[in-house]
Amino acid sequence: MASNLANNYKNTTPAQPLDRKTLNKMVWRSLFLQMSFNFERMQAAGWLYGILPGLEKIHTDKEDLALSMQHNLDFFNTHPFLVTFVMGIVLSLEQQKADVTTIRAVRVAAMGPLGGIGDAIFWLTLVPIAAGIGANLSLEGNILGPILFLVLFNAVQFGVRYGLMYWSYDLGSKAIEALTKNAKEFTHAASLLGIFVVGALISNMGGTTIALTIPNGDSPIVLQTVLDSIFPKLIPLGLTMLMYWLIAKKNFTVIKCILLLLALGIIGAIPFIGLFA
Amino acid sequence: MEFNIIQILLVGVIGFLGGIDQFSFLESLYRPIVMGPIVGAILGNFDLGLKIGASYELLMIGSMPIGGAQPPNAVLGGIMAVVFAIALNQPNFESALALAVPFGLLGQQAVNIWFTVSAPAMAKADSMAAKGDAKGIERLNIMLMLGIGCLFGILAMIGAGAGQAVGQTLSEAVPAWVWAGLGAAGGMMRFVGFAVLMKVMISGEFWTILIAGFASATLIDKAMGTGAYTLVIVAILGGALAYYDFQINTKIKANAGSAKEDYSDGI
Repeated sequence: MASNLANNYKNTTPAQPLDRKTLNKMVWRSLFLQMSFNFERMQAAGWLYGILPGLEKIHTDKEDLALSMQHNLDFFNTHPFLVTFVMGIVLSLEQQKADVTTIRAVRVAAMGPLGGIGDAIFWLTLVPIAAGIGANLSLEGNILGPILFLVLFNAVQFGVRYGLMYWSYDLGSKAIEALTKNAKEFTHAASLLGIFVVGALISNMGGTTIALTIPNGDSPIVLQTVLDSIFPKLIPLGLTMLMYWLIAKKNFTVIKCILLLLALGIIGAIPFIGLFA
Repeated sequence: MEFNIIQILLVGVIGFLGGIDQFSFLESLYRPIVMGPIVGAILGNFDLGLKIGASYELLMIGSMPIGGAQPPNAVLGGIMAVVFAIALNQPNFESALALAVPFGLLGQQAVNIWFTVSAPAMAKADSMAAKGDAKGIERLNIMLMLGIGCLFGILAMIGAGAGQAVGQTLSEAVPAWVWAGLGAAGGMMRFVGFAVLMKVMISGEFWTILIAGFASATLIDKAMGTGAYTLVIVAILGGALAYYDFQINTKIKANAGSAKEDYSDGI
């Protein structure tokens, strides 16, 4: 992370726009953004690896290339699936031979807000949907489970990577404004979809039932049958709410919750209790 | 059930690939839902691997690297869930989930240690950049990637080698009802995953949405018996809601903006 760098490139004539082949190559390299992740500079070296083909085309002067490589090793961290958005902007600035201070500022401004948006799209919406559907099929012994998961996830991933690279490279530095203008609304809408699906997962994936019966002469009352006719899936919903309450309000860690469920499961299974089935 | 040396080596290869894919390349091959059936096939029970992988996936569904935080490791935990499920050979296979969780934590620590000890390589990268050495930067990156892959390959082999012995001993020593209880607990663990997701995502106005999603899925499945495909229909409903939400909110913001401008003009 060199700080005493020159602020201007020696050759300030804008370079030729990058061709599709180079842009595509960088989209592929963007898959390896985190190959050298570490706690000091996070994705910095992987970021530089990703844009190197473009930088080599843009900076024909060896000293300019070295300068560009040095400032592109600054601390870097953004959402791995949205990184081509930052790539496009930074490369358009490099190609116009903007000064180093500007490129640094734009790079930081672009990488920052993407974290929340990417988490909302990928980790909180796409994975729960794709893995939820896939896991359900897998649990039925259907091999389509993992295949469907991979296809859904990667179709979105590659669409986003290619789309953002071309879009943001064309828009140049204006692109930051375009996406961040409605970033809050976008994150809100994506979270809404995610939450809706989480609600559905609780019902669809929650299979826990009660095995208790109440003695009633010749026809004992099976508690779960009664529940099914009043409020199906009440047990999964209740257990999820309990876990949420413990984690959000009682500062339980994930491990503590798991231990509690283990205890609950084993105590419930002691002969003659038969709480869960 | 004894695993032979070739099986353990192959599990090591899967650990190597998963160790890389968890941060680079497709970032989806490493998920337990995908690695489960592969490890299952290597260890001689594809079907069980498919199911236990899906179960572990559901446990992990809320444990994503959100905001850069390291969740319990899906690679090592997922591989070990399959190893235990096959070694234990219990009717309720989900009992293996509980035994796999500590390996998820071990993997998480391995990642943290790797991210710390590999940091000094950045000084090397700086000096390469100063010389404009593009090839050097590429080599350095690839070597670091192979490094974390090897770390996970070795951990996976140790896990598969030792885990099955541990699993078999346990299986003989513990009564059946305890396994049933572990299985029930394993089936409940996904609720922890959902709860973590809710904690990250939910705020006041979203509670009704959560309940609406729950009700839609329950209703659709009960009424039409759509099973696994219920979620596809629910996702379409949710997508419509989200689109509407985005349109309304951007319109409200646009109108609020123009109102403000009118005001500043003194009208």
